[in-house]
Amino acid sequence: MGRMQRPARVVAMAALAALVAACGGLTPGSGGSSSSATTASSTSSAGSSSATGSASGSDSASGSGSASSGSAGSSGSGSASSGAPAVPTAVPTDTIELKMAFTDSPDMTKALADAFHAKYPNITITTQYTQFNDYVKSLKLTMSSATPPDIVQYNAALKDLSAAGLIKDLTPYEQAYGWDTSFPKSALDMLRVDSTGKILGTGKLIAVPAGLSLVGLYYNKTLMKKAGITAPPATLADFEADLEKAKAAGLTGLSVGSLDTGGLHLWGSLLNVLWDPQAQRDWVNGKAGSTISTPQALQATQKVGEYASKGYFPSSANGTSENDSATAFAQGKSVFHINGNWAAAQLAKALGDQVGFSVMPPATAGGKAVGNGFSVSYAVSAKTQHPEAVAAFLNFLQSPEATKIEAEGGFLPPNAKAAPAATGVLGDLVTANQKVVGDDGLIPFQDFAAPAMLDALESGLQSVIGGKEQPQAFLDSLQSVWSEYHS
Amino acid sequence: MTTGNAGAAQAAVLDEGVASVAAPAARRRTGLHRRQWSALLYLAPAVLLYGLFVLLPALHTFWISLFSWDGVTLASWVGFDNYRRVFTEPLLRSSVLHALVLILFFAVLPILLGLVLTAILSRHRRRGMSAFRVIFFLPQIVPLVAVGITWRWMYADDGAVNQLLRAVGLGSLTQAWLGDFDLALVAVGLVGTWTLTGLTTMLFLAGAAKIDTALFESARIDGAGAVREFFSVTLPALRGEIGVALTVTTIAALASFDVVYVTTNGAPGNTTTVPGLLVYRLAFTDGKVGLASALAICLTVLILLVVLVINTLVGGQDRR
Repeated sequence: MGRMQRPARVVAMAALAALVAACGGLTPGSGGSSSSATTASSTSSAGSSSATGSASGSDSASGSGSASSGSAGSSGSGSASSGAPAVPTAVPTDTIELKMAFTDSPDMTKALADAFHAKYPNITITTQYTQFNDYVKSLKLTMSSATPPDIVQYNAALKDLSAAGLIKDLTPYEQAYGWDTSFPKSALDMLRVDSTGKILGTGKLIAVPAGLSLVGLYYNKTLMKKAGITAPPATLADFEADLEKAKAAGLTGLSVGSLDTGGLHLWGSLLNVLWDPQAQRDWVNGKAGSTISTPQALQATQKVGEYASKGYFPSSANGTSENDSATAFAQGKSVFHINGNWAAAQLAKALGDQVGFSVMPPATAGGKAVGNGFSVSYAVSAKTQHPEAVAAFLNFLQSPEATKIEAEGGFLPPNAKAAPAATGVLGDLVTANQKVVGDDGLIPFQDFAAPAMLDALESGLQSVIGGKEQPQAFLDSLQSVWSEYHS
Repeated sequence: MTTGNAGAAQAAVLDEGVASVAAPAARRRTGLHRRQWSALLYLAPAVLLYGLFVLLPALHTFWISLFSWDGVTLASWVGFDNYRRVFTEPLLRSSVLHALVLILFFAVLPILLGLVLTAILSRHRRRGMSAFRVIFFLPQIVPLVAVGITWRWMYADDGAVNQLLRAVGLGSLTQAWLGDFDLALVAVGLVGTWTLTGLTTMLFLAGAAKIDTALFESARIDGAGAVREFFSVTLPALRGEIGVALTVTTIAALASFDVVYVTTNGAPGNTTTVPGLLVYRLAFTDGKVGLASALAICLTVLILLVVLVINTLVGGQDRR
């Protein structure tokens, strides 16, 4: 049996790639007229600029590059302002059925759809769940088909689809509904993308958040007492002193699971508090000229290596997954753990009142509350027949009814003020979220900078933790991945 | 591969058929024409299916490999640049090296272990042979993803491997095996050894069962011990099976994906990346479908070459 399977896999892989190619290749030509228009205009602008570039001689490459990026920028802002004709915000009254494809939190999504239906009985939302890996892989095909779902949960792949004209520009609805005031700015900015589909944080709004995520510091109060730590750390220096105390008391300071994404949470959180938030956003968003080869990023990376060599977290980190490291913390095996709000429910169940959550301690006392985070957000197909009904649903996501559902789903509601009271670690999360939103300190995950960034980050951090790579070489490798994608 | 061989065989049949009808063709042109056409008609269904589902996608993959394409937006022609990158980018090159190292664990070790087990089990006809077969074949029945997850836990910091080491007083050796830069590839390789030893043992036991017991008896009468018996009787008789086992397991090593994906996903620090993993990553995560296709084509060519070499070596001996 193994004999047939494995060789067949190579062929199957090739065939799969070919199939994807065949389907993808068909769509731009046959279905999406708008998509071919976009690509045509971008090629023509590149063509014209290279013509002028060749006149200037040896500088033609850089010349044409800047020219095309300039034209891309202007066309992006043009499309945003061309959305000036006001769109209606009245909720349609005829019977409408909307389809919605999603992958995160089935319970919450279903509850949101039901609550919306209860409020507007003429609109029904049929939800369609797909397991995450399959969702990511099938998303491009689903959205470029002739009958895509009206509402689709945001994923990084949507950036490309937006560039192909398959995702609706929501900027007119943002203006009509005033979402810029009813949703946190940092959360909305993460969902803006320019016309090339590569630069985030600027251009048209393509999705609206239903719930925010936030990475921060979990602490075990019982173990803190055991190690002689009186209060959660207020600064990064305090945090390091606490790790030293834990070590002296024979306890494990941090549990880190860098076999997959766990190392990223440690490094990202250190980066968050050491480096200017806007510079970090610019880098993740792909703003031209950004670099991560900075003294602050170097310091953050050095700290990761230092924590490893000092034994603040176990040497087995590279062989431990993020989930397993959370489990270790839940079993009381470490004093601290850096992870996202998604781990809170599991940790609260295991540790009860023993566990607390705070934002990553700032570099200096009284510093701003910052943290990595993103959102569960929904985008809209450009082919939807009912844009008004869909917009009404997106607007519904910040209503008090939706806020309650989002909080129960384990997310931080975008409308932080309307969040229901919570106790224990979940209450800590709400407080931390309000602080971060108040300080405009939400920073998108670093791996969003380029599709290949996650693998580069994971393997690079493993090398830094294992002492196999110099921090500066690690940052250089990240920057080269960034440059390749944004070239 | 099986389908590939079948296709090649069909092609050979087609060649012979055409050759045999080609000679009288000069004499009776019209009748021959008809026979040629009817031959093609018989072949058509197989050729059509094979072409549509194997050859065409393969050719299409090659076509895609000449483009820079993210899977959605318009592709741009880059010619053979993707192939240049396959051979020059350190990550892609090192992945091929890792696959070659895995041959040791997926092919060489299982075959050696399989031979040892066969030597022990096949010297005498004994009761309960089918029970042994089932036991040794068991790892082959378990889905590879389940195998991967199980081993990931066994290799963990407080997993079975370390518990065993501590139990026998080797606590100083314990570590998170999949997290060690020098040992992770070995650890992944041993999962393959565990899985594939069942396959080779099964093959060799079947081959050894065909050996005339009189051969063993006469060897014993000539005063041969167990070792001499193995090298003089069992091993030569198993040449064909060894060839098959070598082909299958080498392909398993070069095209490995599932075990690596589940256990380490290339970690730590890309020390266990293999070409199959990178094809998947490049195509479905990184949005570099052209480069992924180029790597897949190179991997296929490499596998074909290796299989060709193995078949020539083993087949050549067989015909003596």
